[in-house]
Amino acid sequence: MTTVSPANPAAAPRRASRWRMLLWQLLGLLLLLALWWLVTDVLRLYPPYVFPSPRAVWTEISYGLWGTGPQDGKLLAAIGNSLRRVLVGYAIAVLLGGLVGLLMGAWRLLRETVGAYLTGIQSVPSIAFVPFAILFFGLNERAVLFVVILEGFIPVALAVSGALMNVPPALRIAGRTLGASGLGLTTGVLLPSAVPSILTGLRTAWSFAWRALVGGELLVSASASLGAQLEIGRNTANMALVIATILIIGIIGGLFDSLLRALEARVRRDYGLEVTQ
Amino acid sequence: MTRTLTILTAAALLTPTAQAQNATTVRLGFFPNLTHAPALVGLEKGYFQKALGSAKLDSREFVSGTTLMEAFAAGQIDIAYVGPGPAINGAARGMPLQIVAGASEAGAVLIARKDSGIRTYKDLAGKRVAVPSLGNTQDISLRHLLKEQGLKAQADGGNVTVTPVAPADVIAAFAAGRVDATLVPEPWGAVLEAQGHRLIGNEKTVWRGGQYPTTIVIVNTKFAQANPALVTAFLKAHADAVAYLNKSPAAARTVVNNELEKLTGQKVDLRVLQRAMVRTRFTTRVDLDALNDYAALNVEAGYARNVPDLKAFLLPSLLK
Repeated sequence: MTTVSPANPAAAPRRASRWRMLLWQLLGLLLLLALWWLVTDVLRLYPPYVFPSPRAVWTEISYGLWGTGPQDGKLLAAIGNSLRRVLVGYAIAVLLGGLVGLLMGAWRLLRETVGAYLTGIQSVPSIAFVPFAILFFGLNERAVLFVVILEGFIPVALAVSGALMNVPPALRIAGRTLGASGLGLTTGVLLPSAVPSILTGLRTAWSFAWRALVGGELLVSASASLGAQLEIGRNTANMALVIATILIIGIIGGLFDSLLRALEARVRRDYGLEVTQ
Repeated sequence: MTRTLTILTAAALLTPTAQAQNATTVRLGFFPNLTHAPALVGLEKGYFQKALGSAKLDSREFVSGTTLMEAFAAGQIDIAYVGPGPAINGAARGMPLQIVAGASEAGAVLIARKDSGIRTYKDLAGKRVAVPSLGNTQDISLRHLLKEQGLKAQADGGNVTVTPVAPADVIAAFAAGRVDATLVPEPWGAVLEAQGHRLIGNEKTVWRGGQYPTTIVIVNTKFAQANPALVTAFLKAHADAVAYLNKSPAAARTVVNNELEKLTGQKVDLRVLQRAMVRTRFTTRVDLDALNDYAALNVEAGYARNVPDLKAFLLPSLLK
């Protein structure tokens, strides 16, 4: 991801320590798998319909992702649908959140009214909005999207307005002195300097949106989705499918998060906010 | 009467050795549907409690087989009235359950909302159809019905949206226009029909000419082994409830209605209940062939990979 230039003297040891960390992480994963295998296959502490073995979960994953039977590949289809939904919802949430954040940053009245409400709404778990969304939109994709957008746009809006507020006054004054004002000042001076904080907001928004998506899909399980897979696994006493789906949800969520995290780190370094030893 | 006796001897055969009776409570699970009428009658008429003697009856209602089977898996339910779908899935995953009797057959109909434009099964294309829950008995028969019509659920790449809605909530979902049709157990089908919605498929055309179990009685194997006398007593009361439903349907309707109102808060018109009851057969018989066909549909719907050997879960004496 981040290419290390040979000119950087700290690069070699940093790369070495990164590999060592990866090794530790791998070891931890193996340990966890071994423990899981021990509890289920060896000690049989739980019946398989309560806690299935790693092998059973792997079977579900392999059937669901690259199986070739007539009923196989359902997890893959679910991932496709869920990703499409979250990306659409997230994109709308970022645009909407950005707009609301800009307005709040520029207008104090809005910041102190709407901003306060948004903070309140943010503390309500997304799943609480699902019944409302179902009544409003019906048992369909729009209800799920509504919850995703609602959850996603708030952290973006708060991050954008907060970041705009935290721009050092010197920059603002310098911008004014150089002739920028109004929208020009916001887009040309304030926004660029607020990028690192905004990125943090985007990352929070991602994890909120992803969680809201799965919660929404769980309750509105009309079409193929990760949430529906959880529900089907539950309904058919297939705990292996439930765990397989949970793992996939975690892996996808984590992957996107680390992608955004890398972007954030890169930007923070470029902005001189991260001190490299 | 011979059936009752079969069940009695069957329960006696549950354990090779008589063990100490250690349960003081029998925990019963069921749904507030007409297809679970033997449970409703047994409760309302006090058959179960009388048969169990000093053991206390603790009955709990569930809205779907899912939650019931979860409670069953967690060891919180000893005896349950449940659809064959959840029972077969539970058995296939190794839950300690045994099928001990039948309770009802047929009793599920396909109803379309009056302004949905649906008149035949074919018209379900592009529509939204409610089932009690994904993977339940009605969901699986709906998927088979769609397949017979050359249709497919959206999740399988087709254009029919199959969505889970609790049967008692379907009335509200129809009123709000959220679903276009539903495959529901009775009495909810008859209730919707009485509200002017259209009957598209009756209990006979939905599957197998109506020759299929809708509700069966299962027991926790461990409970049955430890308490054979309680299971025998319960099954006798169950057989009595079934006999009552068949012998005095008019009186049974009132009994069922009272219990339904207590459980769901919804009062069903007695004439509506009569129509629903005509579409449901009450029996203690278990049709193994139908159960096997059903398990095959379960595989067809993608909810299981293979048909379990159901004979192993059935009491030997229940086999014809």
